[in-house]
Amino acid sequence: MIVNDIEVLFGGQAGDGSLTTGDFIATAFKRMGLDVYTFKDFPSRIRGGHTNYVIRAGERPHYGLADYVDAMIAFDLECVEKHVDEMRPGGFVIFDSTSEQLTDAVRRPDVRYYEVPLAKIAKEDLGLELVRNTISLGVIAQLIGMDPAIVRGLVTKQYERKGDKVVSQNIGAIEAGENYVKEHFKDAPSGYGLQARPDVDRLIMMGNDAIGYGALAAGCRFMAGYPITPATDILEWMAKHAPKYGGVVIQAEDELAAINMIIGAAYAGARAMTATSGPGQALMTEGVGLAGVTETPIVIVECARAGPSTGMPTKTEQSNLNHLIFSGHGEIPRVVLAPGSVEESFYLTVSAFNLAEKYQVPVFIISEQALCQSKETTPKLDMAAVTVDRGKLHRNGALTFGEYKRYEFTEDGVSPRAIPGTEGGMHLVPGSEHNDMGVITEDARNRVKIMDKRMHKLVSMRPDLPKAIVHGDRSAGLVFIGYGSNRGPITETQDRLAAAGIASRFLQLRTLWPFPEDEVRDFLKFAHHIFVVENNMTGQVERLVRYVTGPLPNMHRVLKYSGRPFRPIEIIEAVLKVVPHDNGAVPERSSVKSVEMERSNSAEMERSSLLDRAK
Amino acid sequence: MATQLTPKDFATATPSWWCPGCGDFGVLAALKQACAELELQPKDVAFISGIGCSGKISGYLHSYAFHGVHGRALPTATAVKLANRDLTVIVAGGDGDGYAIGAGHFLHAVRRNPNMTYIIMDNQTYGLTKGQSSPTSMLGYLSGTSPSGNPDAPLNGLAVALAAGGTFLARAFSSEPKAMVEMIVEAVRHPGFAIVEVMSPCVTFNKVNTYKWFKENVYHLSDIEGYDATNRARAFEVLMQHGKIPLGVFYRETRPTFDELTLKDSAPIATLDIESVDLALAEIQEAYV
Repeated sequence: MIVNDIEVLFGGQAGDGSLTTGDFIATAFKRMGLDVYTFKDFPSRIRGGHTNYVIRAGERPHYGLADYVDAMIAFDLECVEKHVDEMRPGGFVIFDSTSEQLTDAVRRPDVRYYEVPLAKIAKEDLGLELVRNTISLGVIAQLIGMDPAIVRGLVTKQYERKGDKVVSQNIGAIEAGENYVKEHFKDAPSGYGLQARPDVDRLIMMGNDAIGYGALAAGCRFMAGYPITPATDILEWMAKHAPKYGGVVIQAEDELAAINMIIGAAYAGARAMTATSGPGQALMTEGVGLAGVTETPIVIVECARAGPSTGMPTKTEQSNLNHLIFSGHGEIPRVVLAPGSVEESFYLTVSAFNLAEKYQVPVFIISEQALCQSKETTPKLDMAAVTVDRGKLHRNGALTFGEYKRYEFTEDGVSPRAIPGTEGGMHLVPGSEHNDMGVITEDARNRVKIMDKRMHKLVSMRPDLPKAIVHGDRSAGLVFIGYGSNRGPITETQDRLAAAGIASRFLQLRTLWPFPEDEVRDFLKFAHHIFVVENNMTGQVERLVRYVTGPLPNMHRVLKYSGRPFRPIEIIEAVLKVVPHDNGAVPERSSVKSVEMERSNSAEMERSSLLDRAK
Repeated sequence: MATQLTPKDFATATPSWWCPGCGDFGVLAALKQACAELELQPKDVAFISGIGCSGKISGYLHSYAFHGVHGRALPTATAVKLANRDLTVIVAGGDGDGYAIGAGHFLHAVRRNPNMTYIIMDNQTYGLTKGQSSPTSMLGYLSGTSPSGNPDAPLNGLAVALAAGGTFLARAFSSEPKAMVEMIVEAVRHPGFAIVEVMSPCVTFNKVNTYKWFKENVYHLSDIEGYDATNRARAFEVLMQHGKIPLGVFYRETRPTFDELTLKDSAPIATLDIESVDLALAEIQEAYV
């Protein structure tokens, strides 16, 4: 029996509750002490169309998807048709057999099928069609041995707002599911089991929520945005929470308005942010240039999705990095940060605001659908570790008019910032080129001097930029480079390769611009084989690395641009093609032993470095 | 207590880039006069402008000034007001900035009704790029981009604003300073989004809509007996009439402002102490356990 290592896929038509049911089971796994990662694979429509929600749970932090799906809960035949090939041999399918029958084409000899008339039980036995999904929870809970008390506790919590009747209906539905398994499948065990572990001081949180939360903790009190998948959650999160702390959130008429609003708010002295995705980012490009030349501190969250143009709005991709780094006319200093987990999403957002104000630059946070709309179990977030550094913001007392220079030439390139309302600090902030007083000028000497001043901030900020994390064996010659959601699949790949005797190192980049040339150069000094893993077609990070290193014969691109995140086996296979090895020696699952090592060593080290960075 | 200032106190040392005789000089003079009459202090004025000849005005008013990108002055200004509701926020831009590239923002600013003033300096041409037709150019206007005559009907910005829910709509003429000052003063005092469209002739490129042409083609709402600026339907009627151009305050009404609706009673955001991190924020995590 496989214990505490499972990937569950809920699937059906959009709008029929797969996502809610998936969230429910993810929380249940978390309460049982497991580490959880979730992935939403839904269509860009509200009703109808296949949707599915994958929940990975086990005993290893920082998951991505597994190689295969272990358990499928299919509310219709289409779900089985679409995903049966992704099933692990030995896995199982729970199928709602009320109105459709499994066809021979979807029956695999190495997969178990539990046919349960979920909708029929809901309607005929319980008299309430709505509880179909809850019955499915009872079925899987019984099949894999979930703690009944935890399941009932969650049902109660989920529905208590709707009254006792709804709670008891849903508990009845759970029991109906459990009983159906006891009665019909007593002799057909699923092959999977769960054992509860302690669940102490942990959260289960979505990446987007962590970004909103990080922003609020960092003192962001102004957000403007235009709804766009997969970034809208941040706007909604802030709309719910920011007003309680004196903040305001505006739904702008478009992204042009949104970015110019946050520029206005930041100019007036608020910490301000927007969140968008590729198409919205394209519209914001003009405003980013304005923030750059006016030295207005803003934070822009880019929740990347598959492009180009409208692309695949609900699918994941890492193809917008070039846009964040290179877009815009003229040259400005900018920062691009990339969290690789939900926890990092919180702390790096805090860093983003501090960098923005300290260096008076636009700062991007790049996340992606497979991270920003995914939930992860994560240690509780530490408010005491959050510090706010407003840089050279003039806060108290009057300035002397005529002496104060908004764009004063300084050693670090950062000038004192006075906000409207400050006595004596009056000045013009122009998008046109200007002198140190803010007066518009096209003087040649001034132009060179002030361009140098602005761009010098890219140098002076270096010590404050979040460092990359090195995972794995510090002396290994086989190395990975990547960022963002690929942290999970790459570190799992490393664990499994290590179990087969293949040591590796992984440079998880967290500052993507200014590109960390020194870190990359140092990291690659003793590398024999370099795998740059990213979700795009043209190898955007690999090209950045090549700017630093020049062409390297032993550098390989591992690319995926189907709109879905990597499964570890895809990276493992790419490695084994180059590094000859007995394929069978690489275990299908990451060993628990290496998990424990990561927990005790690198996870702790990294956590403390995260906290340092947030300061 | 700060002393009351004169129009000169709102001047900057920056020399103007406008052509001699430009209608924008009149707007600037009226604005300085209005600021003095309103007893404003430069430190409390946030003056936001767009791009074009008109947009340059932000460099010439002693205040906190922001000269942003083309067409985006209104979103920037709306946010400045929300971030610090204690500021007097004034926006200025031209017909191209407000009615072409920024038309979307114009409509939504009107809908939101933020408590600020918008001065549209309308010269019916694109002056800074040398005289192309603008959204308010007359049909048939000859220019480099319309050598056979402008085929686009001119936009009636104030009528559009009235339809979108405008709460203060006025039109002035650059060479009638006294009336213009009065309108700007009233606009700044208006609790809501106040629009003052100023006919501001371009002496270099617009050879049709000249000072002389305006003098012959304007009339005043005060000439209409019993004109009632709280009557929306009447304002529409006057704004939609063909023929001579009416000047004056067309319409005023009071409804809740964007800042009132979004900020409630909270303190100005820019003055919040965010440096001492509120440890009670940790409570938010309870929903994620």
